Amino acid sequence: MKKLLTGNSAITYAVTMCRPQVISAYPITPQTTIVEDLSEVCSDGRLHAKFIRVESEHSAMACAAAACATGSRVFTATSSHGLAYMHEMLHWVSGSRLPVVMVNGNRALGAPWSIWCDHSDSLSQRDTGWIQLYCQSAQEALDTIIQAYRIAEELLLPVMILVDGFFLTHTSDTVDVPDQKAVDRFLPAYKARYKISADEPHTFNIMADTSLFISFKHEAQKAMEEAKKVAARVDREFKAHFGRGYGLLDKFRCQDAEVILFTMGTAASTAREVIGDYRQQGKKVGLCRLRMFRPSPVEEVTRLLGGVKKVAVLDRDNSLGAGGIVAQELKAALYGAARKPKIYEFIAGLGGKDITPETIREVIAKTLKQPNPGSHPVWMGVQA
Amino acid sequence: MKMKKKTLSKKKPVIPPMSMSLEGTRAIKTGTWRYLTPAYQNKVAPCNEGCPAGEDIEAAMVLSGQEDYIGAWEKITKENPLPRVCGRVCFHPCERACNRREYDEPAAINALERFVGDRAFQAGKSFTPIEPKRKEKTAVIGSGPAGLSCAYHLASLGYGVTLFEAEAQLGGMLRYGIPSYRLPREVLDQEIRNILSLGVEARPRTRLGVDLKWEELKSFDAVFLSAGAWKSLPLRIPGEKAAGVLSGLEFLRKVNSGETVDLGERVAIVGGGNTAMDAARSTLRLGAKPLVLYRRTKEEMPAWEEEISEAEEEAIEFLFLSSPVRVLAAEGKVSGIECVKNLLGPPGKDGRREPRPIEGSNFTLPVDSVLSCIGETPDFSFLPESLKKTAGAVFVDETGATSLPRVFAGGDIVDQPRTVSHAIGAGKRAAMAIDASFRGKNVAEVLRAARWGEKGSLSMARYLAGGADGTAPTVVKFSDLNPAYFQRRRRKPKEKLPASERASDFREINAGLSPDAALEEAKRCFNCGVCNLCDNCFIFCPDMAISARPDKQGYEINLEYCKGCCICVEECPRGAISVEVQK
Repeated sequence: MKKLLTGNSAITYAVTMCRPQVISAYPITPQTTIVEDLSEVCSDGRLHAKFIRVESEHSAMACAAAACATGSRVFTATSSHGLAYMHEMLHWVSGSRLPVVMVNGNRALGAPWSIWCDHSDSLSQRDTGWIQLYCQSAQEALDTIIQAYRIAEELLLPVMILVDGFFLTHTSDTVDVPDQKAVDRFLPAYKARYKISADEPHTFNIMADTSLFISFKHEAQKAMEEAKKVAARVDREFKAHFGRGYGLLDKFRCQDAEVILFTMGTAASTAREVIGDYRQQGKKVGLCRLRMFRPSPVEEVTRLLGGVKKVAVLDRDNSLGAGGIVAQELKAALYGAARKPKIYEFIAGLGGKDITPETIREVIAKTLKQPNPGSHPVWMGVQA
Repeated sequence: MKMKKKTLSKKKPVIPPMSMSLEGTRAIKTGTWRYLTPAYQNKVAPCNEGCPAGEDIEAAMVLSGQEDYIGAWEKITKENPLPRVCGRVCFHPCERACNRREYDEPAAINALERFVGDRAFQAGKSFTPIEPKRKEKTAVIGSGPAGLSCAYHLASLGYGVTLFEAEAQLGGMLRYGIPSYRLPREVLDQEIRNILSLGVEARPRTRLGVDLKWEELKSFDAVFLSAGAWKSLPLRIPGEKAAGVLSGLEFLRKVNSGETVDLGERVAIVGGGNTAMDAARSTLRLGAKPLVLYRRTKEEMPAWEEEISEAEEEAIEFLFLSSPVRVLAAEGKVSGIECVKNLLGPPGKDGRREPRPIEGSNFTLPVDSVLSCIGETPDFSFLPESLKKTAGAVFVDETGATSLPRVFAGGDIVDQPRTVSHAIGAGKRAAMAIDASFRGKNVAEVLRAARWGEKGSLSMARYLAGGADGTAPTVVKFSDLNPAYFQRRRRKPKEKLPASERASDFREINAGLSPDAALEEAKRCFNCGVCNLCDNCFIFCPDMAISARPDKQGYEINLEYCKGCCICVEECPRGAISVEVQK
């Protein structure tokens, strides 16, 4: 059924339909309405889940982890500083191979204070062992949550779904809400292979000696590698069930493109318009939105960008002292490629600054015009 | 090399994704570390010990908290057939014993008992009649609370009972002493009917010594003497023979029988006990102006606090530190009363400060009647010489037995606190003692096994079970509880008829609890010493050694894994888990 929903509402619908048994969460802008609505569906009986109110995000994740370890399907949501506060538990969850699914409303990390969107919060957690899927629309957020449980529970890896704060969380869009029965068919109940149970007691997370620790990490790395295939397969199956699919890379007019704009999140929908304009002018410009940031879909990236002349990377983040994180990932992915594009790096939209069609037009114009990229990323919209 | 690689890749991974024990931990039984052993053991709640009628208050509170008021009524009436009466007139020593008193305010047990009784009545509950199974018959002399209780319990045990009553109607002090604004007659009538429905034979208008000779009681196998204390003590002052001087009890008996009593306009009530309060408040309702004369101060008044405060609400006048010395009469009729002012001297034998008259402080008050309420004593005129008596009481031993074989006594006729609940307890004690002696048991021993705690309160349930049924004799103190689990919540105040509406008639002044308030009060109960399945131990056990019992009526501890940390004991809100030290 089609509904006019904000991103957060679409997420609540999706989570409810996935039938988690335990939700533990702490409110934080711009994610708060997700948690609020979920507490409501739990209290009025639309969802038979235990809603645990916690005193911090660290506890939210600890509760989710513990509940998940008993074999429950779990959910939590957070944002920015909340995610940063969870950092320690993010490692514990992935290290324990718990299929926790979480939504993070992307929001800048202070200081200075900001409640607005950028990707610095989730990209700061790129090494925690979580799968990261970045969404562009409310519909995609809804669909990705349903997919995420399948991916997580098959691989025993946690999945973080990223939605741009306010641009996605708080704007309304038409969303096709699937039928509960269809979701149940696509996503059966979670059956844990290993779980805490009084009937069959085991010790969990025992200290691993030096010979074992590395093996656990290697197993997790293999699962992460596997995740690229699993996520792609789940996305295909989802498309077969619901008629919508997204891929690991969301490509737009890339087929014959000589220049490709490479970015994540909602900026991609703005970029679509601009790309269309350039195409009308006969410029062979395309757009690639990176949907799966972790694991890094190196092979697909290499395949797509190997034959392209120039790539403009628009980072809504910055690793201080290094540069845009997506650009670094891209460069790392392409290092072993036979043919490498020139990479033009742009930093834009930090702390919620709008990435307007003009911003994107300027980025593409600069890339088209300059024969070679500069030695440093170009910062868009910095006050002189 | 190639071969080797193939074998390796075929091999299933030896380690699970998560660092966890593969073999399970059942082999490592941590119970061997234990030197303390927690064990579930229900204990006695202080309210049960404090109830002279021996009610299982704690159990009734648990059931009420589950809104099972009929279940609560069944628990109460196992011990006391008069919950609607007691819920109105009992001075509730249970609430004085309540551990919640030390936390915020005691649970409103008395009001809840009334609610439970009224609920059961509204639901049409009554006692199930029993065919007499046993041949022995008992005569009960006096149908006050002690006699009614004894008759009820004996009938419930299958014995024939004949209840002799001197007055026209049953109830004794409940009917003729307690005014109807505290105990409506239809409530009393209903509970008495309920008791009689068990097959108790009632013989009203049969006064021992007048209509019935002591010797005639020999046809019975046992006698329970519960004739009360109906003789008022004289004032022992000049003029007390004048018309218009009445004993308080006689006055109450007349009012409560529906007789007209002309008191005139101003009435002096002499005394500070419950009879004085009842007399003064009844006087007010008859349209006269009561003045209470008490020789000490309010602090020393023996009346229940609630009776005093209700009298004060009704604007009844008190004159303290005043003793009457002479009743003034004109033409043989009371015209006034002369008093002397007192000072309080050092404490006397009972701990209360003794009044000392101040010489020359005499004063007179113009009054039309004098009600003497300075105490009551039993009438022994109809009792045989051979029955041993002490000062103002029939002698009984700890089992309620008198000096004559198979003659028991209880209530106001013996030396015990003169309360309805003590009378009910004494009636029950006699029923147990009579049953035990018919069965040839050691009466003192079986009564000891039926005790709640140490204050002499007896449980019929325990008597029938032959003991405490696994419950420890320990009475739970506030310090045994974990108050962190209880929220501070004020007790529901009693709703009463406004004082301005009380003077004109004898309507019941207490309204009783609303269903919401009753449930809230039931839930305020700590359930001291008794597991109520709160799950705290189960949640806290770090070894998951605690699980629900198969019957779901409690928990069990798997001692193979219990390390004896006793967190469960600490976290039990109500002291229902004990620690045993390993030998």
